[in-house]
Order: sequence, then structure tokens, then C-alpha cells
Amino acid sequence: MLRRTPMTTASDAAPPAGKTEATGAPPVFVARGLCKSYGSGDATVHALRDLDLDILQGEFVVLLGPSGSGKSTLLNILGGLDAPTSGRAAWRDHELTGADEAALTAYRRDHVGFVFQFYNLIPSLTARENVELVAEIARDPMRPEEALALVGLSHRLDHFPGQLSGGEQQRVAVARAIVKRPDALLCDEPTGALDVETGKLVLSAIARANREVGATTVVITHNAAIAGMADRVLRMGGGRIVATERNARRLAPEELVW
Amino acid sequence: MSVLDRKLLRDFWALRGQVLTIALLIGAGVAVLVMSVSSFLSLRAAQQSFYAESRFAEVFAEVKRAPRTLLARVAEIPGVAVVEGRVGGEARVDWPGAEVPVAGRVLSLPVSGEQPALNRLRLLAGRLPEPSRHDEAAIHAAFAEAWRMRPGDEVAVILNGRRERFRIVGIAHSPEFVFTSRPGSPLPDDRGFVVLWANEEAVARAFDMQGAFTEAVLTLAPGASEAAVIAELDRVLLPWGGRGAYGRRDQPSHRFLEDELAEQRTLAVTVPLVFFGIAAFLLNVVLGRMVEAQRDQIAALKALGYPPFPIATHYAKFVAAICLLGSALGIAAGAWMGAGMLGNYRPFFRFPELPYLLPVWLPLLAAVASFAVALLGVLAALRRILRLPAAEGLRPARPSAFVGGAAGDVGRRLGARARIPLRGLLGRPLRTLLTVFGIALAVPMVVLGLFWWDAMDSMVELQFDRIERGDAFVALTDPRPARAVREMARLPGVLAAEGQRIVPVRIRAAQRSRLLAVTGLPAGAELRVPRDADLRPVPIPRDGIALSRRLAERLGVRAGDIVQVEVLEGARRVHDLPVAALVEDIIGFTALMEIGALNRLMREDDLVSHVALRVDPLAAEALWRHLAERPRVAATNVKAVWLRVFDEVIAGLVLTSAVTLTCFGIIIAVGVVYNSARVALQERGWEMASLRVLGFTRREVARILLAELAVAVLVAVPLGLVLAQWFVGLILGARDNESFDVPPAISTATFATAALVVLGAALASAVVVRRRIDRLDLVAALKARD
Repeated sequence: MLRRTPMTTASDAAPPAGKTEATGAPPVFVARGLCKSYGSGDATVHALRDLDLDILQGEFVVLLGPSGSGKSTLLNILGGLDAPTSGRAAWRDHELTGADEAALTAYRRDHVGFVFQFYNLIPSLTARENVELVAEIARDPMRPEEALALVGLSHRLDHFPGQLSGGEQQRVAVARAIVKRPDALLCDEPTGALDVETGKLVLSAIARANREVGATTVVITHNAAIAGMADRVLRMGGGRIVATERNARRLAPEELVW
Repeated sequence: MSVLDRKLLRDFWALRGQVLTIALLIGAGVAVLVMSVSSFLSLRAAQQSFYAESRFAEVFAEVKRAPRTLLARVAEIPGVAVVEGRVGGEARVDWPGAEVPVAGRVLSLPVSGEQPALNRLRLLAGRLPEPSRHDEAAIHAAFAEAWRMRPGDEVAVILNGRRERFRIVGIAHSPEFVFTSRPGSPLPDDRGFVVLWANEEAVARAFDMQGAFTEAVLTLAPGASEAAVIAELDRVLLPWGGRGAYGRRDQPSHRFLEDELAEQRTLAVTVPLVFFGIAAFLLNVVLGRMVEAQRDQIAALKALGYPPFPIATHYAKFVAAICLLGSALGIAAGAWMGAGMLGNYRPFFRFPELPYLLPVWLPLLAAVASFAVALLGVLAALRRILRLPAAEGLRPARPSAFVGGAAGDVGRRLGARARIPLRGLLGRPLRTLLTVFGIALAVPMVVLGLFWWDAMDSMVELQFDRIERGDAFVALTDPRPARAVREMARLPGVLAAEGQRIVPVRIRAAQRSRLLAVTGLPAGAELRVPRDADLRPVPIPRDGIALSRRLAERLGVRAGDIVQVEVLEGARRVHDLPVAALVEDIIGFTALMEIGALNRLMREDDLVSHVALRVDPLAAEALWRHLAERPRVAATNVKAVWLRVFDEVIAGLVLTSAVTLTCFGIIIAVGVVYNSARVALQERGWEMASLRVLGFTRREVARILLAELAVAVLVAVPLGLVLAQWFVGLILGARDNESFDVPPAISTATFATAALVVLGAALASAVVVRRRIDRLDLVAALKARD
């Protein structure tokens, strides 16, 4: 099981770049001094350097940055897929750093919904069944049909991934991620493999999930246009958060231009 | 080194688990081929060289008593090259250590003291008896080795009822006794059967045969007809009590050796063929799938502008490397097992030398055959991939069947997790079929190894529990009136005694004939109970003759047909007799008549030549000692001793083959299951890693991936059991051995063991792959598949 730790954010003095200013909602993701490096000696690559971050309950965050800026590494650590070299990361009162494999699996299973860049659907299962697959192992899932309706795919329930377009497949993936009513929705370049119009459909599905399920949503992308739909945009570079922007008004995906 | 060759080396290393399991498969096929062919060739070579060196006779004849002067007439028969006469007789050896009387034969050596012209002895130690010494003898190596005798030892021998002492001066092999056993037994009994060679004068005196011979052996001139010589020889010897001449084919040692060689030849062809067929099939499946798993790489090479030929060469090299590894392992193992197998023959066949021969062409043939077979599998897969447009090859293979249909409908009611393996199985039916069939083929291997135990058990049960129900079988020196049976029944320890009359005959049906013995049994005999195919007792026919089913098949006759029976004793009369019944037997060929009818046929009184005994076990030892002393007893065969010899001799043989074939069964099961699982993981690792990211535990993911194989294994095992039955029938059907029959009886325990071995091998493979599933790279799932 994940170790529960007392919240420590309140005692921090000046909020660093990634930390949010005091608002009503409590932070759900907390990262302090995160470092991640690969290799050793001269060949060492620093993917994250001393990164601090708070993400609030229900917040829609876009992590923006070029390849190699560390955004994927950060998402992997938040998703319990990877461990930092040093520093700590926590989900609510669950310590993610140092947790064992079983605890991280349980964390992903119970709290996190993932959307991948390449959909990662099971080709031998229909849209409905791909969603059902996750519903089967969730504590309090919605009906798969309901999840698919949320992403606008009620008419494609019994199609296999091979019979769906890329955008439809990605929306199935979104439905699969939200069917468990996740606390957090982590999306890795969800529109990376899609054209603009299809991408917008997928983004509205994600936005709707964020709104209606109340899932804290983190989307990583190198597409700056997507930033408009976020509550907060974190720009990353060289393994650090180099800038934080807060949108006064979240744009609807249809309003995005790229 | 070209870049592709470097890729080759790295692939070889990266795929080492698969490479090794496939190499072992090839090795197993090669090993069986090398083992069976080399042991067959070695045995054949030893036979040929010993026969040539010792001038093994080609025609044999026994007479009651013929004057030596008759040999000149025999020599004049057109087609006879060399003829030699000798005196031979039954000998009983009073050997202190033997628990039952030792039976044997004594044969005369030429007066000159030289080697005989035919059937020369090969002395292992000592010398031949001096011409002037009547108390010296050479002894057969089998008995000498069994009792650790050396030149200088003495033996007491009862010849013609008289006790003589011989000093052993030489220990010898003879082409006539490559296989030695008590008459009628298919197993050697080195401790209980002996052959002695003594000076002609000594033997002739013992049997009152001075100036006479009882056996003629001869060789044929080139191009001579054996049948014509035999017919003429019979005519010449008939007035002197000729018992029917016969060719090498009917010489007991030669026939047994030939039967075994024929059996070996069959096995040397069928078993490797079955095995190689299996290995070829598996290579095709496994290597094909391995190449299939590299389709993106192949497509990339093609997209980069590589023409098909270097790509094909690249994979051919890969296969060649695996085959080379497999062949090297297989040749080494095959040579080792072949030498071991030959070692198993040594107690059966007494050759002066039995060297292990491995002709160069054999491993080469095996290696080339395995490479050809493997290449076929790979090229087929390669062709499929190279024919794809490069762009399509670069995309991961999508199971085309997943557009609904049967696979789509299956398991709607099951959970989504169960549907993944189910659709995996049904979505690629051909692949599933091949996997199932491949795993199934492991089962017959184990069964083929273990079933010999069952076959031997059922042989013993049929022959010694059901048919021959006595404890001992006594051969008399010559036919005696029936009161001899009553005398024997009164001996202490004898619970029951039944007389039998055994007469050598030649049975003919149309063009086919066989030399054998007819046994006359009293009506209602209890110590020998003939049985039909359902093992029900068959009453002994009052008229006509009962033949064994195996003999009837070879003669091409059925119940009710008439056969011609030529009695090879006394007046040599010929009779036409109806086949009254068919009976089962295992060892030799049975022909039965009612004893009274047989004696009437012989125009003789109520005579018996053998007595079957039921014996009180507590008094048995004293009884054997007593029988050894009785003058008219030629030999006593004790069932318990025979069974013990059987166990000793057969157990070693069967154990070797059981262990070997079980190992091969494991290699097949592991080869197919492990490779299927690895390829599945290669193909679906990304999917499985995605599931892990979605929160599935390692156990759940492993279950989804391995369930497909589990189902395949569960279907394969029963299928394999059916195949096993079929293979056993196939191999036994290819046998052509007249010495003994092997019933295709497979016990439940054998089936169960084979099933468990294969299940165990599959489980072990799954565990290994499960460890790889545990190490899946989850982060990779978030990236594009490469």
C-alpha cells in the first residue's frame, strides 16, 4: 500500500514556479525536489531537475514543452509508472516515491485514468469491450455505454478498433480511461497522432470528462494551441518548469486554433 | 563483417532462449536419426564381419545317425561348396552355483584338432582341445562370462545320461550362437544355457556315434539354389533319419538376430521419421512465427531498398546457425545414445567385437535434412512478408478476423478479460491449430518411451499368467510312455503334472511354409491353456490343428482352411489337417493338437516328450536338484527364473528408451509452449504493458496472455493421447518380428504420466515467460511501438 504522509505544502514559504497560489481547492498531486536522471558519468541525462509542483483537485493542467523537456518523465512519475532519482511525489496522502510495484498498480487501478498517444486499444475487443475491460477491475465504474456516450461514440459500441478511425479509437481510449470515474486523468500527447478536427473531438471528450467526472486532468503536449483549454499551463524546458500561466477563461476545444 | 551479419549475431543472442529451445528440437530429431541408424549399422557390420571370418554355414541338417561316408555324397550335391559333419547332442551341466539345472549343447570338433571348416570358433582365451585329449572342452563365452570361468576350470557334464568331467581349455564365440537361449525362449539366459565344444572322439563316444554324424552343415556354391540343395539333402539324409534341412533363415541364432535387425531397421526408419516429421513441423511453426515477429524489421529493410535475396540469405544464415547448433548437439547426443544402445545389445548378441560405427555421411545427412526442413519453414514465412507492400509490413499485423463474425460473437457473455484469449485462439485458427498440434505431438514421444513397460507387462501376463500356467517345463531326453508323467507327478513338491508331445514339423499353405513345433496337449489341459483373441480359453480340438493367429496371418490361412503338415521326425509323413481354431500367442509360433491325435498321426503309442509341472514353492529348490540328477531329463525350464531374466534384460533396454524419449517429449513441449509464449509476448507486449498501465496487476496480465496457451495445452493433451495410440499402432504395425509379438497395450498410468510430463513442461515454460511479463517496460507502452 502507499504510505500515507501528512501534508506539508502549507509550511513551504515562497511558492515555486509549479506551485499554485492559495486557492480554495486542496492540492492532490504534490512534488518536491523531483530529479530524474538516466545513465551515469558523462552520459548522464537529466530529465528532471529539482522540480516542485502542486496540482489542485479538479484542475485541468496542460504541460507544454518540446521533446526532451521532461514532461513525459513527469507524467510517468505522477502516474506511478516511473520513480524519481531523488525528491518525492505524492497523490493526496499516498506517497508515490518508494512505493512498491503492487501499491503503484493499485494506485493506477483505483485512481488514475490513462490516455496514450497511440490509443493502445486491444484489437481483439470491440469499443464497448475495451471499456468494459477496465470497468471489470474498477471499484465503482459507470456503465461502459455511458462512458462511450460521454465521448460521443454511442453509435460505434460494437466496432473493433480496426473498424474505427484514429480519432474514434482515441475517444474509445478516453472512454476507457474515464469509465472507472478516475480521480486523475493523465493524457500523453492525446492528439499527437490526429489531425486538427479529430484532435478537437478528442479534446472535448477529455474536457467533458474533466468537467463531468471531476477528474484532475493533466495533458502533456508540444502543441501550444491546446494550452487555451487549461486552467493552468506549465511550460517545461531542460527538466524544469520554466513558466506558469493561468488562463482567465478556459477555451472550449472548438475555439482552439492551430 | 557486414551490418546484417552483426544484426544476426545480436539477434542470435537476444533471442537465445528461443534459439536454444529450437536448437534442442532439431538436436532431438538428429539424435534419434543418428542413434537408431548408427546402432543398426554397427550391429549389421559386426554380424557380417563375424559371419565372414568364421565361415558361417548356410544350410543346416540334423539326422538321427548317418555314417561319415555319406558326407561324400552330400558334397556331390550340385550347389554345395563345403560340407562338414559333426556330432551334436544335449548336455546338462551340473554347475554348483546354478539354482536350476543348466541346459546346453555339446558339439564335436574335427579329429585333427584344427578349427572346423565351417562355423569356426573365435577364441577369446585359451586354445582348442588337443586332438588326443578327451577331457578337454572349449566353452561359449556367454556362460563363461556369466560364471566368471577361466581356462583350467572344470565342469561336470551329463551326456546321454553319463556324467563326464571336462577341463575348460578355451573360451569361444561362435556364429551359430551369437544369440543363445534355451530353445524357444526369446531372451538370453547366459547363466542357464551353455554350449561346449569337445574333441570328436570324446563326443562320439559319449553318444555312441563313432564313425557317424548327427549334424551336417554346409555352404553353397555361388549362384546355387538353397531350396534345391535342401530338397536334395533331405532326400539323401531321409533314410538315416533326417529331420529336415533348413537354411540360415531358420537357424535359431541367425533368425533371432535378423528379426532384431529387421526390427531395428524399421525403428531406424519409422521413429526418426516420426520424430523428424514432428521436429520439421515444429520448426516450421516456431521459426515461421519468429520471422513473422520480425516483419517490421524485414519491411524496413525492404523499404530501405534491400532486394529480397540478401534479406532471405540473412534469415537463411540465422536458420543455419540454429541448425548448426542443434545438429552439433544432436550428433553428439545421438552418437552417445547409439553407443549406449549398442551396449544394451551386448548381453543379447555375442560378437567377438561389437564396435560402434558412425559413418560420416550419417551426421551430414541429419544436419542437411534439419537445415532443409528449417529453411522451408522460414522461407514460407519470409515469402509472406516480402510479398507485403513495405508500408503494410511496417504496420503491426492486425488480426484480420476481428471484424466480427464468429470470433466477434464468441463469448459475449464472458468477461472482456476472457474474450481476449478466446478471440486470440479463434481469430487465428490456423496458428491455433498448429500450436495445439505441436504441443500434442509431445505426448506420443513420452508414451513411446514408456509404453514398452506396458507391452512387456502384457506380454508376460498373456504368456505366463494366462497361457502357460505351470511353474516348470521339463524336456525329456527322448519321447517316453505316458507313465513317465505319473512318475513325475509323484515327486515331492510336484502338485500337478501334465504330459505334452512336441514334434518338429514344417507347415505349408500354398507357397508359404514355416518350420516349427506342434505341441500335443491332453484335452482339458490346465497347465497350458490356449486362448482366443478375447483371452477366453479355447478347447483343444479333437481333430485338426490349432494355429496361432500370427502364424495363420503369415501363412495366409483362416480357421477351416487346410494346411499341409510334414512331420520332421520318424517316418516324415505328410498330412493335410484342417485349421480347427486360432489362438493367441506372444513368443514364437504356436501350433496345437490333441496329444492322442498327434501320436496317432505319428503312428506311435501314447508318448510324451515334455512335462509341465505345478510346483509347491517351498519344495521347489529340492525338486530342481532332483530333476538335475534324473537321467531322462534333458532340461528343466523354470518360469520364475525366466521372468527374472526377462526383468533384468528388458528393464535396462526399456529404461534407456523411456528416459530418452521422455526427454524428447519435454523438449517438444517446452519448445512449442515457450516459443509460442515468447512470440505472443513479442507481438502483444505493448498491449500487455498498456494493460499494466491501466492498472492491471502482473498476475492479471499474465493470465490474459497465457490463458490462450493454457487452452491450447488443455486441448492438445487429449489430442496427443489419441495420437500416441495411433503412433504406437503405426510403429508396431511396421514391425516384422516372428520371434515375439508386442501387443499395443498402453496403460492408464502411461497415458497419465505422458499427460503430466507435457503439462509440467508447459507450466515450466509459462513460468519462465511469466517472469518476462513481470519485467514489462510500462513506459514503453506510452510511446509508439517500434
